[in-house]
Amino acid sequence: MGNKQTIFTDEQLDAYQDCTFFTRKEILRLHGRYHELAPHLVPMDYTNDPDCKLPLALIVNMPELKENPFRSRIVESFSEDGMGNLSFNEFVDMFSVLSETAPRELKAIYAFKIYDYNVDNYLCKEDLEKTLNKLTKEELTPEEVELVCEKTIEEADLDGDNKLSYADFENMITRAPDFLSTFHIRI
Amino acid sequence: MASELHSQHTGNSYPSDQQSLRLRQDSSPVSNQNYPQFNWSSSPAEDEVDNSGPPRDLRSIPLPMSLKRAVWQVQQMQVPVVSKVESWKWKKTKSLHKLKDRTRGFLYFITLWGKTLQKIGGNFGGGVQSYFLFLRFLVVLNFLSFLLLAGFVLIPSIVFRSVGTSLQNSTGPEECMNYNPNPEGLVVFYHYFLDFLSGTGFMEYSYLFYGFYNNTIVEDRSFSYNIPLAYLFTAVFYFAFCLICIIARMGTAARVAVATGGSAVGNYSKIVFIGWDYGCLGDQATKLKQKNLHYRLQVDLEEERLRKQAAALTLGAKILLYSLRVFMFFVALGLIFAAFYGIFEATNFSQSRTGEEGILGLIFEYLPSIVITAGNFVVPMLCDQIALVERYSPSTTVILALLRAVFLRLVSLGVLLFTLWRQITCEGDTNSQDCKQCQYNNKLYPCWETRVGQEMYRLTLFDLLITIAVLILVEFPRRMVVDNSSNMLTQWVGRQEFVVPSNILGLVYGQTVVWTGALFCPLLPFINTIKFVILFYCKKITLFYNCRPALKTFRSTTSTFFFLVVLLFGWGLALVVMIYSLAEIRPSMGCGPFRFFPSMWSIVPTSFYRLSQVTQEFLFFIGSQAFSIPLFTLSCVVMCYFIALASVYGNSVALLRSQIKLEGRDKQFLVKQIEKLKQLEMPKQ
Repeated sequence: MGNKQTIFTDEQLDAYQDCTFFTRKEILRLHGRYHELAPHLVPMDYTNDPDCKLPLALIVNMPELKENPFRSRIVESFSEDGMGNLSFNEFVDMFSVLSETAPRELKAIYAFKIYDYNVDNYLCKEDLEKTLNKLTKEELTPEEVELVCEKTIEEADLDGDNKLSYADFENMITRAPDFLSTFHIRI
Repeated sequence: MASELHSQHTGNSYPSDQQSLRLRQDSSPVSNQNYPQFNWSSSPAEDEVDNSGPPRDLRSIPLPMSLKRAVWQVQQMQVPVVSKVESWKWKKTKSLHKLKDRTRGFLYFITLWGKTLQKIGGNFGGGVQSYFLFLRFLVVLNFLSFLLLAGFVLIPSIVFRSVGTSLQNSTGPEECMNYNPNPEGLVVFYHYFLDFLSGTGFMEYSYLFYGFYNNTIVEDRSFSYNIPLAYLFTAVFYFAFCLICIIARMGTAARVAVATGGSAVGNYSKIVFIGWDYGCLGDQATKLKQKNLHYRLQVDLEEERLRKQAAALTLGAKILLYSLRVFMFFVALGLIFAAFYGIFEATNFSQSRTGEEGILGLIFEYLPSIVITAGNFVVPMLCDQIALVERYSPSTTVILALLRAVFLRLVSLGVLLFTLWRQITCEGDTNSQDCKQCQYNNKLYPCWETRVGQEMYRLTLFDLLITIAVLILVEFPRRMVVDNSSNMLTQWVGRQEFVVPSNILGLVYGQTVVWTGALFCPLLPFINTIKFVILFYCKKITLFYNCRPALKTFRSTTSTFFFLVVLLFGWGLALVVMIYSLAEIRPSMGCGPFRFFPSMWSIVPTSFYRLSQVTQEFLFFIGSQAFSIPLFTLSCVVMCYFIALASVYGNSVALLRSQIKLEGRDKQFLVKQIEKLKQLEMPKQ
């Protein structure tokens, strides 16, 4: 590959290649996308690992995320401070997990975090209700929402505590072959 | 001890072990991200042992990126400590992985229609995309079959056209060998166009149809090529090749089903957690996806309600419902058989009026195709109305309608072939007036294989023409009307919906026709490849310009496995036709590579005796009991082994699943015990 780029050192690109599911070309392309979100904030030279974070509002305006009902939760799950401010590391991490080649276990971990609105490591009824409303744009009646949440917990809850722990969630995911293809953003 | 257990319980949300790194759980309630902490104190010795794997495993760890990069740096620094052999091995695996990544990227780039399929999937969802994936599979299958046929039949025939000795001398009566397909006299120009459409005239005596091929064997010093034998074996191998491709593709789909234990996840959790396609692009697609999910949830709730209702029915109402369903079943069956009778009559009429001139002649020739297409359009519509009376649950209704449509399509093709057979072999009676001389009706069919090939050719062509005609005359105007008029009626009718199951059935029907006709029309796979490519672009255009995604989707009817099973039915039908033609009917004496043989298959024994003695004995041995019975027993044993293995895996999956459940309950029980103990302790203190 041509080594004309000056955005990253070779060592940095190797590190990114080994730590994500992207190739060198894709990482450079991602940097381009990150840069065009805020050209004045994001430096072109990342060789000294600048500490630059983009706010949530900018990230969720990307065409790939704009129409996704879970866009805020996705960005928040990958940000270290939990508020949705992503550095380039976290930006790449987010799209790496959502890429085609990421394994099921990794995606399941982050999917659980996305649906866990109150961040208590359980998917309780309120989390499910919020998820459902985002999915159907609040077109279900409250009784239907109640019924669907009850049935979902009934189907997936294994330890009988009326909420879904990560083990329950992962167990359900392994039985659904579609998960890998739906939990996937192309960039 | 109690508090430790308690904290483990609250913090236990992530997988607690990875192969190469030891992770400690973060039990502090303050941190809201709750990442498992990386254990920095792991000894270098342990890392050495795992060194062949770490670069790959690092990607799959749910650590924040900065921590991962730090780990990576640590690993990079530790590499020189390892021995030379191990570091060489590690470098090799790393470059192999890089090569794999690069080839994957390259393959993605050159995959046929890769980008188009991605766009379709993003805008219309997985169901529509699976139709186009299936279409692409068929295009590739047909193209490879064409290469097969061209390489072994077409090109040798072209090359050895004028050379070669006839395999068997003429031994039949004079009338049977009377076959003159070349048009006589002056041919009007538009006749060429009509001939192109119906496969007669200048097209009849060409490489397109069976009748043109010679029954010659070419022998040189060290090279001999037996054209009839090649023709037969290529046809048989073509069927085997298609079967292998279909089964291989089914295998991938079935493997997923076995791996997930076969039992589908519950409907509701599936829709809530896996329903949303994160790759969905665009405002409209998102809104439609949301409506789709809403609809699916409503359907499930409705089915629940219906089930409760059905359970609450009185005995009298139940009897009435079941008798109504039985009656409607017979009505549907009656409709389907009426369609079959229509096809039968149309084929008889068409065959009796061959030789007519001009447009009227063309219409008579296309009559069976027209009746089949009309039947395939009208009968499912009527069956839909019948389904309203039957009042099954929505998913059962859809599956039932699909099965009826499959039955109708494939068996109507079978009826057409049966009618042809009746006429060719005088209803199987070789002593009747017309068939006594040549054992087939040589007055109507001097070269019956070519006639069957022509019929299949016309079916294929008509299918394509109808699709294009519907596209231009129905779908585009419908969109223009809906978009430009704000009438209540047009808005209610709305834009065209891309219905996947009926489109798939069209593809399966087309492919079955090609399989049936390939023996008699060797260029048919090539024509079909072109037809499917045109179809791909036509359907893509209509999808993007005229259609809205289907609001009502049912997972089971859009699965690839289901499509392949239906395709296998079609293959079975074509196989029956081929075997019967090979073994039972006498080949025409006036044309074709099997001219003077009593049956097509009899060339195999004839050529067999021309082989050297050693080869003959070897082949006899393989066919004898001493070899085939042990082989058969061995393959039974191997099959039993695999079946046992599969059931063992299924059992262990079920066992592990119930174990997970039990452990969850044990955990609950233990937590309750701890709470009780705590409460007992508290008053004491």
